[in-house]
Amino acid sequence: MAATRRLQKELADIRKSGIKSFRDIQVDESNILTWQGLIVPENPPYNKGAFRIEVNFPAEYPFKPPKINFKTKIYHPNVDEKGQVCLPIISAENWKPATKTDQVIEALINLVNEPEPEHPLRADLAEDYSKDRKKFMKNAEEFTKKNSEKRPAD
Amino acid sequence: MSSPQDTSEAVGAEEGTSQDSMGHEGEEGRNTEEGNAMDWPPQQQGDMKRVAAQLIEKYYFQLTDGCGNPNCNNPDCASSRKVGQLTSNEAAGKALQLFASRARLCEVVGAKGPRARQSVSCDVTDSAQAHTSATGGADSSSSVVQDVNMAGVSTPNTSLPPLSPQVERMNSPAGLTEETLTLTINECRSSNNYAKLRRLLWEVFSNEIALRHSFLQRSDSVQRRNETIVRSKSIDNTTTQSKEELRAQEGDLDKDLDCAEDISADEGAASSDKNGKVEERNNIKPKGLVLHALDISEVRRSYAHLFECPESEFGSTLMNAIVQLLSDSLSIQLRVRRDAFSAIPNNINIFIILLESPSLNTTDFIEGVMPKMCRTIGQLPEKDQALLSKHIATWEASRLHRLLESLHQLITIKLLTTEFTRDFTINDEDSITSATQVMKLLFYASIYGGELDTPLLKDIPSSDSFLENVSQNDDPFLGVNGAGKDWATRPPSKDSLGSELGIHVLDARTPLILLSEFYDDFLSDQLEMDRDFAYYKAGSGDKFSFLNFPFILTPATKALGLYYDNRIRMYSERRISIYQQVMEGMPTNPYLKLRVRRDHIIDDALVDLEMVALENPGDLKKQMMVEFEGEQGIDEGGVSKEFFQLIVEQIFNPDYAMFCLNSETQTFWFNPNCFESDAQFTLVGIVLGLAIYNNVILDVHFPPVMYKKLCSKPGSFHDLRDWNTTLYRSLVELLEYEGDDMEEVFMQTFRVGYQDVFGTSLTHDLKLDGDNILVNQSNKREFVELYSDFLLNKMVERQFRAFRRGFNMVTDDSPLSNLFRPEELELLICGSQHYDFMELMKNTEYEGGYSSETPIIQAFWELVHDMSTEDKKKLLQFTTGSARVPVGGLARLKLIIVRHSPDCDRLPTAHTCFNLSNILKGLECFDLWKLERRS
Repeated sequence: MAATRRLQKELADIRKSGIKSFRDIQVDESNILTWQGLIVPENPPYNKGAFRIEVNFPAEYPFKPPKINFKTKIYHPNVDEKGQVCLPIISAENWKPATKTDQVIEALINLVNEPEPEHPLRADLAEDYSKDRKKFMKNAEEFTKKNSEKRPAD
Repeated sequence: MSSPQDTSEAVGAEEGTSQDSMGHEGEEGRNTEEGNAMDWPPQQQGDMKRVAAQLIEKYYFQLTDGCGNPNCNNPDCASSRKVGQLTSNEAAGKALQLFASRARLCEVVGAKGPRARQSVSCDVTDSAQAHTSATGGADSSSSVVQDVNMAGVSTPNTSLPPLSPQVERMNSPAGLTEETLTLTINECRSSNNYAKLRRLLWEVFSNEIALRHSFLQRSDSVQRRNETIVRSKSIDNTTTQSKEELRAQEGDLDKDLDCAEDISADEGAASSDKNGKVEERNNIKPKGLVLHALDISEVRRSYAHLFECPESEFGSTLMNAIVQLLSDSLSIQLRVRRDAFSAIPNNINIFIILLESPSLNTTDFIEGVMPKMCRTIGQLPEKDQALLSKHIATWEASRLHRLLESLHQLITIKLLTTEFTRDFTINDEDSITSATQVMKLLFYASIYGGELDTPLLKDIPSSDSFLENVSQNDDPFLGVNGAGKDWATRPPSKDSLGSELGIHVLDARTPLILLSEFYDDFLSDQLEMDRDFAYYKAGSGDKFSFLNFPFILTPATKALGLYYDNRIRMYSERRISIYQQVMEGMPTNPYLKLRVRRDHIIDDALVDLEMVALENPGDLKKQMMVEFEGEQGIDEGGVSKEFFQLIVEQIFNPDYAMFCLNSETQTFWFNPNCFESDAQFTLVGIVLGLAIYNNVILDVHFPPVMYKKLCSKPGSFHDLRDWNTTLYRSLVELLEYEGDDMEEVFMQTFRVGYQDVFGTSLTHDLKLDGDNILVNQSNKREFVELYSDFLLNKMVERQFRAFRRGFNMVTDDSPLSNLFRPEELELLICGSQHYDFMELMKNTEYEGGYSSETPIIQAFWELVHDMSTEDKKKLLQFTTGSARVPVGGLARLKLIIVRHSPDCDRLPTAHTCFNLSNILKGLECFDLWKLERRS
């Protein structure tokens, strides 16, 4: 793998940093281009559960940005039903090869905690979020309880 | 006393006539001169003649205008009032006599205006000068003789020693300096009498020797930097250092100097030793260019001063002087001894000074002077043209643009005002052809002055296996012109200007001004392409062909030229095959016949074309005839169009995996891990070539770099932008990163990853042991270049080579690569994507009772204009058989709408047999369709 050296370093750095919001990182030995990990948000309504994501690095990494997918269903204005997320830092226009994966993950965690209804992937949720926050919170909490993963004990 | 305006006009008019008669009589004068002066060394005759002509001119002005001294007693001077009223012809005749008898020549004081004015308005300075400089008759004539001798004996390299203003005016060969000019201007301004300025301008600008020696950097100049040069000349060991200092100080000026004279170093050294003349030699330039010390900034300042004066005072004089200069000695010289011309140093300065003139784009100048100037420049040896081109390359883009506009304007004026007949075509109109030649200088200047792609084409060894199939026809520009068969006879001089400059059209990345600005639409429209093509084919050089100047022709016009070429070849193939049949009894086919099954179109076409390619590649150049198995239909073009369309669809089908799609730019690139054999790619190449050859537009989406590569220029870093934008931007980021921690931040090694069409990740080492070499500040550029080279060239080398082999099988002996730049080639293959249905409407014809006024036709167009692009594409597909816009836009499609027989039950039908006229039958149903859609 071309990007092996960098990805291995980045993986080691993230694991070492021990951030609480992103843990349980699993990487297949044979394919370092695909990572899985658990997002553990702090803000309600998502603090009732945890969400598994997959980070896919292209063969041309770091000259092309990674892609992020939610494996766990999430009720969020910026994540569509298929689990695709629109994160500016890894869009083709904004991508910088010097950007590290931990920065990407950090941006993702921020987005999960603080939805951005201005750039929604699901317009209906964005509308609820802006206009009827109560209803949104209720739905999201129920959805999270029902669909999300268990949060780690510590 | 007449007003300044009046007098200036009078002088202008007089000069106009005098110039004609002088030009004429001057030659006679020279003949006389030769007879009189056999004792002068014959090799000096050229200079001598010129001096003689100038002397006669002086006599002439003395006779008509006088010397300006109110106390003059010379019987042959108008100022003495002893000369009667003379017509200009009489005056010229008298001037010759005076010259022959070496009569007394007065010191000219200033104005050459009419006597009446002179006696009244002679200002203080003038008369003061007149008193001090009035000389006796004997002295004067002897000084004239001296003059003649001096100019005659001195080698052309001689720069006359700096002279005092008075002597300078006496010896017209001495050049003009800013000082003199400013002095004269101030004088004239204070007296509000510009006669003196006019006289000065006439003397300098009508005289090549004077102009050649004008605005030189002088050794006695006060400017420090000039002193530096002089010192560095005399003290050899400090040369380099002082020059470098100089460069640092005057970078801008230095750039200007790049346009200097190219003479051999020996000559330069000799003349500088002999005369102590300032000549800077630029050792940095690979060709050993000698910088001739024309002080460009002085030229510009002088022009600026000059044009602060009211232009009515000097404009016509300046123009007439230049016309005189160009039409007289210079053009004769160039015609007679073109090669000797460039041997005279500083000669090129004349043109540089002329080109610097701010009046270059005034209408008067364009009409009056430009044609002559273009003609003279067009006659210059290529070496000098290259120098001029280099000079122009130092200009700002806006200035270059203005000159280009002027040339376009000249061409347009000439096209509009000239009556062309069968025997006198555009190709015979001197002004247009020479303007085209000058435009070529600008074209190359635009490339030369802009950003260039490295490496230059000539750096690629043509024996490289990468180029094996094109090496024979890849660079006619460099004189290697080995393009097979009938093109071998073309004169190789065609683009020696490019090689003189060491550049190639393909090297242009960001030219100073867009190369498409050089298209002259009007000329392209008016040009009789069949004639031009015939001249091009003849290639003898005695007939001008615009196809040798492809930059000025729009792609559509060039496509027409190519079309003729293809047709001629098809017909000749047909003739040959009939001949063979008759004479040798060989059962041959005059057409390239393909029989394919719709559901096996690639396999069938591959087998057929492969057979042809193996057995007789020449057959590919026959007219194509396609037959679908089990279907009736004679291929008059429509069937092949469908064939091309189907085969292209198949080829780019992702299941076929020959090409991978870049979703970002929607372009296809060769799949480096393709299972298909090379033959498949050769087939694609043949199909592309056949499409051009048979005038069919294809719906293919390659990035621009593919066409560049087809023109035998390998892809480089900047070509990534139009194919893989994100990657390109990331690499730019990498290049722009300035931190020292690059290794830690990027952790990028010389091993890169890529993906094949199935999503498998693969790696490649750009260098030996690439995985252990980190990219850092010192090698980042190398990394980017290697990476780009890998993606664009190395990775797909096998596939691309096969592809190009196929393409060249069809196009190898056509002028394609000479006529079209890569972006034009793309246009030729894919058509342009601008759906301008207004253009189509304007060019549509009607038959069978329809006209543009018929309500249903109007309704039809109304409907069409409201359509979405998608629908327009479909309509185009239906009516013409291709969804692509042809080169030159929809205006090139000739649509004919024909009325059906009155029964309205039949649906509209389209006949797409002939590319340039498509027939749409029966519109009645559109009415229903319209109602349907509106409801």
